[in-house]
Amino acid sequence: MTFTDHNLAQRAATGDVEAFAQLVREHSELVYRVAMRILGYNDAQDASQEVWIRVWRNIKQFRGDSAFSTWLYKITVNTCLSTRRKEQAREAWELNNELSYLPVPLSYEDDPEDAAVAGERREELLRALERVRAEHRAALILRHMEGLSYAEVAQILDVPNGTAKGWVSRGRAALLVALSEEEKSR
Amino acid sequence: MIGSDRWEILEKIGAYAASELSAEENREVEQLILEDPEMLRLAESYLRMIALLGAIGDESPEVPEAVINHAIRRAYVSAFLRQAEELFVGIGRTYLDAFVYYLGLRRPENIG
Repeated sequence: MTFTDHNLAQRAATGDVEAFAQLVREHSELVYRVAMRILGYNDAQDASQEVWIRVWRNIKQFRGDSAFSTWLYKITVNTCLSTRRKEQAREAWELNNELSYLPVPLSYEDDPEDAAVAGERREELLRALERVRAEHRAALILRHMEGLSYAEVAQILDVPNGTAKGWVSRGRAALLVALSEEEKSR
Repeated sequence: MIGSDRWEILEKIGAYAASELSAEENREVEQLILEDPEMLRLAESYLRMIALLGAIGDESPEVPEAVINHAIRRAYVSAFLRQAEELFVGIGRTYLDAFVYYLGLRRPENIG
């Protein structure tokens, strides 16, 4: 945890709006990035605004036991997951115990780093990600996109380490199946 | 191979591609991959997918200015309302104390 974040959070907790504004400016990218990946581009802005309202309301509860960013990740993921739960229209990709086939291998012949910049691959992956169950998707994003350790993922999602590991593993497998479906439907 | 076995294998190969297996588990998966080209292709697909996730993760989206402005504006309004509430509550309390004193029901605390 940076001393500055802790200090700013303490000042914000006493009602110092300038300190809060500095926290917003420094960490708005983290919040928006995670919201965009969990909810998609369209809902990211509303969710980010909701996150900051919750942060301001609850900043007194931040005691500095963990890094401010970990606390912020937690509020962001919880806000996004509760937004997601409210949505009835979108259908989540629920994994059954039965899988009637193994996914077809992805036909990316090019270098993965190049594939990342190729818009089509990127869009395919983000579309497929939306079909992964919300909790599994959040775990997958924190682990493979945000590069966090399993201990951090577990702390943010408020689950035991083993559960976090299981959710990432399930999310990875579900994403591969969803990607394979995307590829077949092309 | 039944359905649940497929998930198990799928997840195991995923963990292998993410370098999350123990040495013994690694050897098991490598054996599987050597014996079955389909498993090798799956492992390669996982590797590409994980690399793609990481590459997207490295991108920094531009945060709409509206998000930052909205958050700061809301905090200012909330802080103002909080201060106004404290002020009015304080004034109200002072008036009540003065009224109670006026009626002779209680002496002010700061007078010995």
